[in-house]
Parts: sequence; C-alpha cells; structure tokens
Amino acid sequence: MSVITTENLTKIYNDNSVPVNALNGVSLTVEEGEFTAIVGPSGCGKTTLLNILGGLDQPTSGGVVVADTDITSMKDSKLITFRLENIGFVFQAYNLIPVLTTKENVEFIMLMQKTPKADRDKRAMELLKEMGIEDKANKRPSELSGGQQQRVAVARALASKPKFILADEPTANLDSVSTSNLLDMMAKMNKEENATFVFSTHDQRVIDKARRVVTLEDGKIVSDVTK
Amino acid sequence: MILKIAWKNIWRSKGRSFVVMGSIILGVWALIFGTGFMNGFIVGYMANIIDNDISNIQIHNPKFQDDYDVKFDIKDGHEKAEEIRSWEYVKGATARTIVTGMISSPRQASGIQIRGIDPVNEAIVTNLDSMIIEGTYFEGIKRNPIVIGAKLAEKLSVKVRSKVVLTFNDGEGNITAGAFRIVGIVKSTSLAINEMNGYVLAEDITKLVGLGDQVHEIAVLTDPRIEESLITDKYKAAYNGDLAETWEEIAPELAMMNDMYGRVLYVLMAIILTALIFGIVNTMLMAVLERFRELGMLMAVGMNRLRVYLMIVLETICLGLAGAPIGLLLGWLTISYYQNVGIDFSNYSEGMEAFGYGTILHPYLDGSVYVVVTLGVFFMSVVAALYPAYKAVKLRPVEALHKI
Repeated sequence: MSVITTENLTKIYNDNSVPVNALNGVSLTVEEGEFTAIVGPSGCGKTTLLNILGGLDQPTSGGVVVADTDITSMKDSKLITFRLENIGFVFQAYNLIPVLTTKENVEFIMLMQKTPKADRDKRAMELLKEMGIEDKANKRPSELSGGQQQRVAVARALASKPKFILADEPTANLDSVSTSNLLDMMAKMNKEENATFVFSTHDQRVIDKARRVVTLEDGKIVSDVTK
Repeated sequence: MILKIAWKNIWRSKGRSFVVMGSIILGVWALIFGTGFMNGFIVGYMANIIDNDISNIQIHNPKFQDDYDVKFDIKDGHEKAEEIRSWEYVKGATARTIVTGMISSPRQASGIQIRGIDPVNEAIVTNLDSMIIEGTYFEGIKRNPIVIGAKLAEKLSVKVRSKVVLTFNDGEGNITAGAFRIVGIVKSTSLAINEMNGYVLAEDITKLVGLGDQVHEIAVLTDPRIEESLITDKYKAAYNGDLAETWEEIAPELAMMNDMYGRVLYVLMAIILTALIFGIVNTMLMAVLERFRELGMLMAVGMNRLRVYLMIVLETICLGLAGAPIGLLLGWLTISYYQNVGIDFSNYSEGMEAFGYGTILHPYLDGSVYVVVTLGVFFMSVVAALYPAYKAVKLRPVEALHKI
C-alpha cells in the first residue's frame, strides 16, 4: 500500500530575479514500510521535496497524495492537524524542546493528539526503551549527547504512530558511532513497528543502510534503486 | 503541558526575566503605594471635614439655607436631637443655633458664622474640645464666652480673655450686638473652623436673637459601618417637613473629590501598566525571535496556531504574574507600616493646613484595590502578549526551520 504518491511535482522559487527550478517533474511513490533515502548533491532539491511531502511547503504544480489524502492545496490549518496525525519529523538539528525532559519531549505530540495520560506514559517509556535511552527519561536535552538527542527525536517522531517519518539529514551532526547506533535504531523501528522512513541524506552510511535509494539531480529523479 | 512549557520558558533567560519582573515589582509597588498615599490624603481630608465640621448628617428647616434667616428654625429641635441620640448607629447628635454676622475686635472686624452650641454634645459630634490650643473649652468665663479659630484670632489680633463684639440681625430684622470674651482658641485643618466660625453657648445667642429657644441645625455623627442614608430615611419617616441631608448632599464637592480620587487609581494604573507593557513586549518579542526555529518545529510537528498563540500569551501572563505578588506584598507592607506610623509632613504644615490637610498622612488602601491591580497586571500581560504572539503565529514553519 502506498503512503506517499507524487505526480509531476514542480517547485519554482521566484524569490530572486532569476526563477529557480528546485523540483522539475518529480513523480514518486513510497510504499508502507519502506526505508528510503533521497540522495543527491547540495541544491538538487532533496529538502524541497521533503518539505512538500511533509506538507510544509506547496508545489508550484503537480500533486501530492499522502495516506490517501490529497494535501496539495490543503488549507494551512488543516495541514497542521494532518501533520500531527500522519507525519513524523526528524530534524538535522534535533529540535527538541529544551525546557522539557526527554520523556516529556516524546509525550508532547501525543499530548496534542489528546492521548490519555496512562497511554502516553506507557508509549513514551516503551519508545525510550526501544531507543536504548530509558535511563535518560528525566534528563533535559542539554544533558544528552547529540546521538542521544537524535534518538529522542526519532522516538518523538514515532510516538504519534505516523503513516511515515521524514528525516532531513538526520546524521549530519553526528559522529560515526552515533550515526551507526541511530541507523540501527531506525532500522529496528522500521522492522518492529513497520514504520516508513524517508531520508534526505548524502551520508554514505545512511545510503548503505537504505533499502531504496532515490537520486535527485537538478530537481529531477535520475535513478531509483531498490536493493 | 503548554502552561508548563510557558512557565519554564520564562526561566530560559533568567537575567532578562528578572529585569522584567523587577520592573513589574517596582511598578506594582509604586501603584499600590501611590494610590494608598493619595487615598490617605483624601480619606484624611474628608475625615477632618466630616468629623470636625459638617458631620455625617445635617438637619435644617428647608428654607434656612437659602439666606440663613434666623426665622427658619427646626420645630422642637432639642427634642428631635434628643430622640436621634437614642437611635441605633447614631454616635452623637447636637443642636445648634446659627446666626451670621460680624465679629469685631478693637483692631479688626470680620464676617463670622456664630454657632450657638451645647458644649457637651458638640464635643461628642465634632471633637471641638480636642481642638483647643489656647484657653479652655467654655470653662473659666461665665458671661458670654466664645471660642474662635486660630486664624480668625490672628486676623483680629486677639487672644484668650480678649473682648470681641458680635453684630447680627435679630429675629425682627434689627441690628443687634453683644459683647463676648474669648475663652478658647481652636486650631483645625478645616478652613471654616479656623477662620469663619465662632462658638458660643446656645442660650447666650438665643437671648440676643430674641425668638426663643431656636434650633437651626442638628448635626449627627453616625457609625462608620452604615450608610448615612439609613438615618436620614428614618428621620424623614419620623419627622415630615425638615431637610435631612447626608454629607454627600451637603458638600457635593467633597463627594465629587472622593469619586475623582477613586478614579486616580485607574489613571495611575493605566500610566504605570502602559509603561510596563512596552518592556514586556520588548522582552517577549526577543524571546519569540530567538525561538523562531523552535516555534517552527512546534508548528511543523502539529502544534496549531491557537496553541502557539496561547503558549506565548501564557508565557507573558506567567512573567507578569510572577512579579505582581511580590510587588503587591511590598506595597501592602509599605502601606501597613505607614498606616500605623504615618508620614510626617510637619515641615510643610502651613501649606498642608492651608488646603485643609493634616500634617501626618496615613496611607490607606481598600482590599479591593489589590484585586483590581492583580487584574490590571493580568490584563496588561494579555495585551503585551498580543504582538509577540502574532509574530509567532505568522511564522511559516518551512521558513523558520530552514530545513526539515
């Protein structure tokens, strides 16, 4: 079953006097349970594609269907709710809420989904355990290493049981050990929770772990390889 | 959890938050103390006027105050005063015979309102005996004693035991005069008592007026816990035909002054809180600008704009309400201390007394003012949050994050 379908996506930035074609006719389908890496050189359109897939930006033309819902021209207020229910995000800079503990960060999205407290507690602790950081539940993000923070970010993304998780260069700020650990965790969650992951990356270690690699160049898909 | 985040967020930049809280503490303290100080002025001023001069209630013949004609007296005035004294919530009532005329010394003459009084009941109602600064309260001079104010004594260049002549119209409209000897000199913050009134024994003046045992005014002192209208209504029900008025009706300018000072709180509050708003807006705006990325993340993961807005508003309210209790407490402590000790203005006594104020000021504040100020700070915080919260909700997550 496909969770993401894009059709002939284009995105043109007109911020400067010269229009920039960030995406140029991207058609892509991501099936449930995939572990997909979107790769390519800087400026090839990876982030733009992820922004559009995540409902954070709108294409100039073309369509995006996520979990059977066409989000192409969805209203901003509806998109926020849609993201809350369907999409998990992992950011390059972790972006945890610094004033909350690790557990509270994981609980945060469930709280917005109005999940009962007992269920929130249980799910948050389960995820922290899965990610190997249950002993850090009461620590603040500033007390964790980069790798640990990114694991919290993954746990947070998974907490709401989204249809898929978008991760923009999740290992860019991590050392090799942390990267390896994080990728193992994500692969494990991909298997155990059947969570669909879509990464943008140019980290070869991530590419090696991915089961499908989509390569972009100048806003176009130039290769799509499933291992 | 939004409240928890909001509360914790204000401690992210402790120095900045403490500066804002400090300004709120200072502002609230200034507001409380300033209002209490002004309230002390007006309450003291009104207490002086009501307790020493006009009393809570005055009763007259309805025509008397038109031109103070001695013919228009209160029928059975003494009996009525006696009856009022027995009423619940009445602390005292005194009957007066009032004549307007001239007072002359060998050197000067001046207009005067001559009050023929019963010294015992007058002392209960107006504390006139306690205002004596020279001489005695109707003791030591048997024939035609008179008590006058210090300013009037100065103006007439007279002292205790000096002789003065009172000139006025008698009951038939003829000019009559009587020689009186000064038995005591009083000093009060009331201009009327100091400069315009002369107190004589009622029997001495009625003899000269020649219309019998007349009463022109009954002054009533009531229990401060009740509304004066309770007594005036009772009087009107019991005695038809007389004019019974509360101090607010007798001296509407005093009532207006009281009302006006009541509004000063709101003016002062508006000024201080408006000044504080700018400080808080600046701080919150900095807090929002610093957290663009974080706010973008919150919106990206599904925090709707209403919640973001609410979080910023709650954060500002937390900031405001964290400082307010300390300011309120300091204000209350300052007011309580000076309420007991008083603030000494004796260095400016001449100026203060010229305007009818006492030299020791006792700040006073009603408990409801603390509630009003707390609500004011709450309202200010909500207003101060509007612009920063607007900036936050107008964020586009994709721009705030730069990259997802």
